[in-house]
Amino acid sequence: MADVTPSVSGAAVRRRRTARLGPNLVLAAAAVFFLAPLLAMARFALQNVPVIFLGRSTLFKNYSFEAFAKAFHAPQFQGTLVLTLKLAAATVLCTLALLVPTALYVHLRLPKARGLVEFLTVLPYVVPPIAMVAGVAAFFRPNARWFLNSNYALVPFYVVLALPFTYRAIDAGIRSIDVRTLVDASRSLGAGWFTTMFRALIPNLMTSIVSSSFLTATVVMGEFTIAATLSKATFPVFTFQYQTSSARGGVALALLALVGTTMLLGMLTLLTRRGPRRRAVARF
Amino acid sequence: MTASLSSVNGDRTNGAVPVPASKRKWNWAWLGLVPFLAFLFLFLLLPAYGVIRKAFIGADQQFTWTGMSDAITKEDLAFRQSIKLSLMTALLGAVLGTMLAYAAATAQRPRWLRSLVTSFSGVAANMGGVVLAFAFLTLLGTQGVGTKILKTFGWDLYEGSFRLSSFAGWVTVYLYFQIPLMVLVTLPAIDGLKTSWREASSNVGGTSWTYWRRVGLPVLAPSMLGGFMLLFANSFSAYATAYALNTGAPLVPIRISNYLQGDVSGRSPMPFALAAWMILIMAVAMGGYLLLRRRAERWRT
Repeated sequence: MADVTPSVSGAAVRRRRTARLGPNLVLAAAAVFFLAPLLAMARFALQNVPVIFLGRSTLFKNYSFEAFAKAFHAPQFQGTLVLTLKLAAATVLCTLALLVPTALYVHLRLPKARGLVEFLTVLPYVVPPIAMVAGVAAFFRPNARWFLNSNYALVPFYVVLALPFTYRAIDAGIRSIDVRTLVDASRSLGAGWFTTMFRALIPNLMTSIVSSSFLTATVVMGEFTIAATLSKATFPVFTFQYQTSSARGGVALALLALVGTTMLLGMLTLLTRRGPRRRAVARF
Repeated sequence: MTASLSSVNGDRTNGAVPVPASKRKWNWAWLGLVPFLAFLFLFLLLPAYGVIRKAFIGADQQFTWTGMSDAITKEDLAFRQSIKLSLMTALLGAVLGTMLAYAAATAQRPRWLRSLVTSFSGVAANMGGVVLAFAFLTLLGTQGVGTKILKTFGWDLYEGSFRLSSFAGWVTVYLYFQIPLMVLVTLPAIDGLKTSWREASSNVGGTSWTYWRRVGLPVLAPSMLGGFMLLFANSFSAYATAYALNTGAPLVPIRISNYLQGDVSGRSPMPFALAAWMILIMAVAMGGYLLLRRRAERWRT
């Protein structure tokens, strides 16, 4: 701004520059703190040079995807990855089937319940995953063992775990469009509730539906606590176990998971930026 | 629908007091929430109830406080460490996170900086767990690159008591998700600081310091305090990160899982009492956060 007004004295410019010194230092320090672990992890997974031998001469030597290739061929790799992807898909479907109708219903028929439903959707924060597992041990283990034996027993708990994010994303989407007009228009043209839902409402809610799906998927793909404590062989659990036998392989898998989730969230950012004016995603 | 339902509903309302039609219709509308409420009941409330029940009901089926008090006395170290860790990372996270959010919000160049910081915070705040632990092990472990670099600058990290698997290490690692979470919480509040307030302050002769002391910080205080409570809760309940760094860490979440895995019979009230304490602490911290957030929204227009 100082450059636009030539009358501003040199002293004022200098003062502005020194005023930015603090914030710029903060930004630089943050960049180091947040990037260094990621770079170190990438180097460890990609470069086959122990740190002791790391120096100026070896800095760019021996880079390869060999650790990844080895991890891909580990016997449990495929099974755990497929299980986690299936769990993610099932959790997304359950979340949508449960939340889209509920949020629409609250919006159209029961606005008075909005406070209650919002309160309920933040309750999972009060019961963190490790307490949830204790609850599962206390209630489901004695009463419904058959249920816990299935790998898909994780799905409802993942739905609950992601609830605070997903409900907000869907609710924000509903608030940003005029649901009532859409419903009235569709109904007056003779459409039934089913047609109204799938041909009028859902296409208009697509941005928030996709963003809540991505959020759910990232939660499932990184969830360790519940899966590990209930002894389910999901991808994060395998990553952790694999690291004990192959340090580089484990780190390579972790890097893969990180890149995967970051890409999902990156797509989400692009998607919501192009979408309607309102931000469809709000972290609690 | 209204007409047909109100007649059915009529005999439920005692007959004596006339109830407005809108109120009668409404009772039935709640039925639409049944699937959602049933789901939460089954998969959130029942587990929570199971925990509370096992924590408070002794072997003789009588209500007792001994489970809860035993948990505190026997796991005194875990509680102390967990609370210390949560206070420390919440405090550091709140201060550093606000500073970072302020730096990002007020930076004019480059333009993409702000959205980069927000998006990255979204990723990092949710990172935690195995991935984060591995990243720090490769950086600051005994054989880490960062450890080696610091050594060439004459700072031997492992000379003292620093270990990634103990307190100082946990703090360092936890800050990786605590700071970004704080950024996400305070950024809206920082955007709410209007430039006109700053100008008004300097017009009446206020320095930068008076502006912050009299205007900026009081406006930010509720969000900062709320963020502090959210961060406290976040750190207190974090399991995967600490577990991946040290499977035997003396922290409340790890102790819960150790007890659960050690005693499959489920007869000992210990893990449930610990989990009940955790739920209680979470309720207090999250309640405080929600109240303060409401207070903080007052300045936003």
